[in-house]
Amino acid sequence: MKSDNPTLRVAWKVTKEHPWRMVLLILFIALVVSGALLPPQVLRLIIDTKLVPKTTEGLLSLTLLYLGLLLATNLFDFLKSVLLTDYGWRLVSALREAMAEKLRRLPLAYYTSHTPGSITSHFSSDAEQVNSLFSSGLINLLIDLSKIIGIFLSIALFSRLMALVALLFMTVMFFVTLHFRGALFRAQKTNLAQLGKVNSHISETLANIHTIKAYARESYMEELYSKRLRDNYETLDHVNFYDSLFPTFVQMLKHGLIAAVILLTCSKAGLLGITIGTLAASIDLISHLFQPIDLLGQELEKIQEGKSGLARINEFLSEPQEVPKDERLSLHDITPDGSAAITFDHLSFHYPDSQELVLNDIDLAIPDKENLAFIGRTGVGKTTLFRLVLGLMPPSEGKVTYNGVDVYTIPNRLKRHLFGYVEQEFVPVEGDLFEQVRLSDKSISDSDVLKALDFVGLSSLVGKPFHASGLSQGQKQLFSIARAIVANPPILLFDEITASLDAHTEDHLVHVLFKAASGRTVLAISHRESTMRSARNLVLIQNGRIADQGTPETLLARLKEREAKEEDPAACR
Amino acid sequence: MGHQPDLRPVRKPERVFSYFQKEWPLVVLFSIAGIVFNLGQSVVLVMQGKLIDTVSERSPFPVVLRATGFLLLMVLFFQGCRYTKRFAIRHWANRTIARMRQEVYDHLVTQSLSELEQEQIGDLMTKAVGDVDISVEGIRKTTTEIFDTGVLMAGYAATLCISSWRITAMCVWWIPLSMFLASRLKTVVARLSKASREQQSRVTGMTFDMASKTVLLRTASMEEPVLARYRQELKVLQKKATLASLLESSLGPLYQGVASIGFIFVLFFGGKLVVDGTWSIGSFSSYSLLFSAFTVKASKASKLFNAWQKAQVSFGRIRPLLSGHPKEDTTIHHPLDPERRLVVSHLSFRYPQEEKWVIKDVSFTAEPGEVVGITGPVASGKSTLNIALEGLYPYEGSVKLGGWELRELSGFERGTYISWQGHQSELLSASIRENVTLGEKGDISRVLRDVAFDKDMERMPDGEETMVGSSGVRLSGGQGQRISLARALWRGSPLILLDDPFGSVDLATERHIIHSIRTHYTHSIIILVSHRLAMFPETDQVGFLSKDGRLSMGTHQSQMEGNPLYREMFELQQKEVEDHEKR
Repeated sequence: MKSDNPTLRVAWKVTKEHPWRMVLLILFIALVVSGALLPPQVLRLIIDTKLVPKTTEGLLSLTLLYLGLLLATNLFDFLKSVLLTDYGWRLVSALREAMAEKLRRLPLAYYTSHTPGSITSHFSSDAEQVNSLFSSGLINLLIDLSKIIGIFLSIALFSRLMALVALLFMTVMFFVTLHFRGALFRAQKTNLAQLGKVNSHISETLANIHTIKAYARESYMEELYSKRLRDNYETLDHVNFYDSLFPTFVQMLKHGLIAAVILLTCSKAGLLGITIGTLAASIDLISHLFQPIDLLGQELEKIQEGKSGLARINEFLSEPQEVPKDERLSLHDITPDGSAAITFDHLSFHYPDSQELVLNDIDLAIPDKENLAFIGRTGVGKTTLFRLVLGLMPPSEGKVTYNGVDVYTIPNRLKRHLFGYVEQEFVPVEGDLFEQVRLSDKSISDSDVLKALDFVGLSSLVGKPFHASGLSQGQKQLFSIARAIVANPPILLFDEITASLDAHTEDHLVHVLFKAASGRTVLAISHRESTMRSARNLVLIQNGRIADQGTPETLLARLKEREAKEEDPAACR
Repeated sequence: MGHQPDLRPVRKPERVFSYFQKEWPLVVLFSIAGIVFNLGQSVVLVMQGKLIDTVSERSPFPVVLRATGFLLLMVLFFQGCRYTKRFAIRHWANRTIARMRQEVYDHLVTQSLSELEQEQIGDLMTKAVGDVDISVEGIRKTTTEIFDTGVLMAGYAATLCISSWRITAMCVWWIPLSMFLASRLKTVVARLSKASREQQSRVTGMTFDMASKTVLLRTASMEEPVLARYRQELKVLQKKATLASLLESSLGPLYQGVASIGFIFVLFFGGKLVVDGTWSIGSFSSYSLLFSAFTVKASKASKLFNAWQKAQVSFGRIRPLLSGHPKEDTTIHHPLDPERRLVVSHLSFRYPQEEKWVIKDVSFTAEPGEVVGITGPVASGKSTLNIALEGLYPYEGSVKLGGWELRELSGFERGTYISWQGHQSELLSASIRENVTLGEKGDISRVLRDVAFDKDMERMPDGEETMVGSSGVRLSGGQGQRISLARALWRGSPLILLDDPFGSVDLATERHIIHSIRTHYTHSIIILVSHRLAMFPETDQVGFLSKDGRLSMGTHQSQMEGNPLYREMFELQQKEVEDHEKR
């Protein structure tokens, strides 16, 4: 396995998209760096060839040259910035696109072990850190490094001794910078930790607000907060000390070097052997030497930060993917006649991180147009069963087939027209009422949607703005049913959909379910008697196995006995 | 720790000026230091020029040495001022941040429960944390820039004028021109930044959806169209963000370029002045360096505008939270009568944002020393009865404790008279002792015995001082429950409301706890909500709350006889108890 760095591959791809922009960027960078070095030379020329001999001949042209160089440098600096910003954002976009595509290929198990918040952070903070790493970190590091070397070489061209002295000062600067940054870093770490405590106090307050109000302990919480603020405040002052001292120190070094150069120039031995013009130019150069050195420190920090974002994105992009689906399959291959017969073929399943079999050797043939309900205690694997039927997860052993086709091989883009899955929770999407039912399927027309809404009895919602929070529980379930039937699938799957409804709404819902079920295969999960009774056959799941099957009348009588013994009536739902 | 800094709140926290007023010694200090330093910058450059002159005039070495030494001393002095200014301003900012944060927090925590539940928690936290920081940072930057840009540029301009007002008159106009351009663009920049941020929000929302709605996306075949739309929105974001970024931070060099056009006059006319002997080379050098520094500053002006803009927006968001908070009234204005009876009369209750009445027309009384058991079928609102009796939300009807209607009591009085244990243990990140006493003083060993926590205590590394909660020792569900039960019992309040305190304890412990409650808390009225009925025969009254919100009050006996639902529930549990005891 070759060493993989998917992020760098994306970066390289973005670079290759517009190769000329990269060439221009490098060109502008070179021009910006030389732009830092040339004006002082022109200044030297002005002083040495015009001012000292006191002649104004040709002064204007040199002046124009100086200005031209300045303006050109500023222009190139701006253009460099433009190209860099453009590259940076294209990189971020490309990374986000790559990660979005990755989301499609990740196994469902990934989503249960990673919160949406942590996944989204790859797209937001991690991607931005990578952007920072390249544009503010790496490139600026190159520029500042080149500037430092360029300035240093210019000084060396003037006088080797001066360069040596400058080198001495730069070394001092470097070591002191390290010390300061080290102390600052440690103080910052403490600051972050304390800030975490300060902030968690707020979230803790909000989480426990009921208790705080009940006991009227607001002032106690205020005092606790105050204490944490004070601790943080003291650290901040510590940070402040280093932060304020450092630039002062840099300036002292700068003036120290200038003073040293001046002294060396005028000492009896004329040690440096340079002209006045050169002296003036050197001072100009030195004035611009220390700032890039300071910036180097910040850029190294940005690169460091960026590397951790890079590592996280690489980890994400290297996650193992699902086995690819069979893209050759079409709807016609699977259900040429609108039938849906589901077979569980010695199906077993355990979650990747445990050996416990949630489903153990389920063997069941469900004919087309059958009406079946799975029953059993909550948490016993029934929803897992549905996920396997929908081909969302691979079985550990055996398979589930849809008219003989292994469901796990069916591409997701066909599933809307094969399965009508009605979940427990209604998940709203972005968009208006029609979009809530259509779910981005362009083949479903507005009139299809209207028919579906009419079927479930939600026509009254048409014409009003859609607010998910304004829907009652019953309405949400009806909505889910509308979504499921509008694509006219041969099989419907109902997952505990009457769970938290009152008797009246349940009645209406069961009536709609009955209508929807006619002419289709229906699989339901329920523990409500009314739903169970409307099925033609029941299957009892216990300890991951099929414990019993039969018609509602016969099986429910047996079930009542069992439930009185097993189900803990004290269990809160 | 040694001294505790005085961070008491300011008098008018919603006005920025108050924070300057409160710290006026600091403000005076950094103002003086700032002015001296920034004016000193010009002085240093002029002196540097004179130093160059000593070299070009071939002055004797000791003269140059003295002049150099003097220059370095001046630099030291001015840098000292700079340090003072920087440190003092940040010190002020740190104090102000701490003050504002405290103020925002105090405001949040003293709002009523219904008010708090209306706002989104995420938004509340962003305000409380993020906006304070951005505001103070922005104020600090702006204040700093008033010196570092305002005073500095004034100093430069003055020095340049003194050197040669003619040249200055020619070259200086480009600088305000470039700053004017920067300020004109300010509104454009703000608009584009806002558009870019909104698009970013939209994209983040779509990302979050893709990461959280996987099952729906896959079973409803939405992945492809959603991805296609995502790509489009990414492109839009890229364009908007690039433009906003560019205008926000890349224009500096252009502003500097415009400001630098004046250099032509500096070099040409300045050069002429050297040639005709008016200026020395040193003066020429320092003038150019001054002007150069001037142009660099001008390019940073746009940053000042942006910082100020951001600060204004953020401060606007938190100003409502800085409008002061009610001081807690800790006197008892309504002392309870000696009978301390609880009289509930036609109490009806629903949560403020909801339509359904959970408690309907409930009436009963209870005397101190009584334990009242409340039960009912699942989701019948049993816990809500306790919440209604707390008096934290508005209710209809009457609830009187010790002769006073609950709504007449202050928050402090309610907190003193009523203790409440909820379904969640709601533990703080603090010691066990602090969790029980909530910061008050007193011995807790007896109450820990009452809730059968003494054995658990033996395994706690620091005893009562053991830290629990999110950053301490992880307690089991049952242990957490017993701590919050201890918290409710410790005060011995006249009314103690308990919700399912036995959810995670075994029968023997349950017996022990009920026994302790009956023996040690005879001055309190205890309302015990539970669906575990094993100990209900030990209660004095039993109330059954039905699904329609109505309460039928009686005793265990009367409920067994007259309430078939209750009897069924009790008998099912009895059987379980017997099975359990057989094993």
